[in-house]
Amino acid sequence: MKVNVDLSLMDMPGQLIRALEPISANNGNVIGVIHDHEAIVGGRITVNVTFEVHSDLALENILATWKENDVIMIKMDAVFESYPLQYLLVGDISSKEIESLTHGMESMEGLASMDIRITGSLTSGSRAAMVTGRVTRHGSLETVEQFFRQHADNGGYMLIRGLE
Amino acid sequence: MDVFIAGFGVVGQGITEVIRDKQELFIKHFGEKVRIVGAFDTKSLALDPSGLDPDELLKRKDSLGKVGKDEVSDDIVKLLQDTEYDLLLEVTPTNIKDGGAGYMHIHTALSAGRHVATSNKGPLALKFRELTELAERNRVHLRYEASVGGAMPVINLSRELLMGEEIASMRGILNGTCNFILHRMKEERFSFQFALREAQELGYAETDPSYDIDGIDSACKLAILANAIFDRDVTYADVSRTGIRGISEEAVALAAEHKQVIRLIGEVSKEKLEVAPRLVPAGHPLSIGGTLNIAQLLTDLAGDVTVVGRGAGRMETASALLSDILAILKNGETRRDAKR
Repeated sequence: MKVNVDLSLMDMPGQLIRALEPISANNGNVIGVIHDHEAIVGGRITVNVTFEVHSDLALENILATWKENDVIMIKMDAVFESYPLQYLLVGDISSKEIESLTHGMESMEGLASMDIRITGSLTSGSRAAMVTGRVTRHGSLETVEQFFRQHADNGGYMLIRGLE
Repeated sequence: MDVFIAGFGVVGQGITEVIRDKQELFIKHFGEKVRIVGAFDTKSLALDPSGLDPDELLKRKDSLGKVGKDEVSDDIVKLLQDTEYDLLLEVTPTNIKDGGAGYMHIHTALSAGRHVATSNKGPLALKFRELTELAERNRVHLRYEASVGGAMPVINLSRELLMGEEIASMRGILNGTCNFILHRMKEERFSFQFALREAQELGYAETDPSYDIDGIDSACKLAILANAIFDRDVTYADVSRTGIRGISEEAVALAAEHKQVIRLIGEVSKEKLEVAPRLVPAGHPLSIGGTLNIAQLLTDLAGDVTVVGRGAGRMETASALLSDILAILKNGETRRDAKR
């Protein structure tokens, strides 16, 4: 599980290490730290930390240690990992087909976001559509690919996949 | 070491020049010369057990259009069985239907206990296991670096220098003609037809370009890599294949808007075996332009290992054949040594 927190620390040397130590002590992995030295309020600064932990218990231990060490947590969000998808469709793609793809994708479990951009002439039969988006589970990528492959085979147009 | 050259087209002439020019290297490292004792093309045969003069062969081919003074025998099998030589350099054109004459030459030489180095994709893309097992049974080397990617040393790199690595997958651009066309469509906003015509005018594409643009050439190379590096037992027909004919200007432009380029990518792993156009982020190693070939190997210890090189050409292919000649000299006994 990825977690993103805003922490309020005393603006004193060693405080950041004091905040990060409980994460590694609980087998967590620090992914990013944003440390704004300019914004000091009441002798405290805000630090944004993104980290990964393997269990709820590990997270509870980290939160308890922060409380003991006077590290104040202002905000906490769980960050869900998501995986990019990208497809380029080329050929005679009707508006009805685009609509069908959109509805099919929207009803798919695990879809976090999706965007379709279309170019080309409606009358020439030569169009290109770029589908981009994200899914929240790695396994969903295979389902999405099968979905597009099936549509491309049935519709007789070319499917170009992203280099995942 | 005595070599026999089957095929005296562009590649055959290239390797003849290289053998002529690298005698010092052969003597310095292996204490022996490499002599050409036989060569044939479709029209003629040159044969001399004491060694042929490479310059004479090249001059005759250039002036008369044939390598030898004698007519080529109807019974090539007998010729390759009875002539004394250590290594057959099989550089005839690829035949993807049944392996053609190349298959017969390689099979005969291996059966007769001769080493083989080849640039011919057909026999390997169709009958890889049969030929490698035949070489093993006869305790001779069959080497084929020149069959994939010209001067890009992907096979020997994978099998020798990266021998200790677990190679999970390989992705690459294995056809320079397709890469040139896709590159020009993006850079010059050419239509597919226009870019193809330019490739034909520059000599990168044949009059019938289907072998390249329908992904057949890439599929042959991918099948060879699958067998050689991933220990699979596949032929060219097992490769899932999509060519680049259907790619429009709109598609290339739309990809560019998203900072992507379209490239014909071959991908092989234990599970995958596919040649297809793919979207590649601009700046990614696989987004290279021009006629270059590139292969990216994903390994367990070294991570991504990428190798780039010129995929075709007289000297590029000869360079790959030279690496195989040197490997045979280094690793194996010549046939006459084995007899002693």
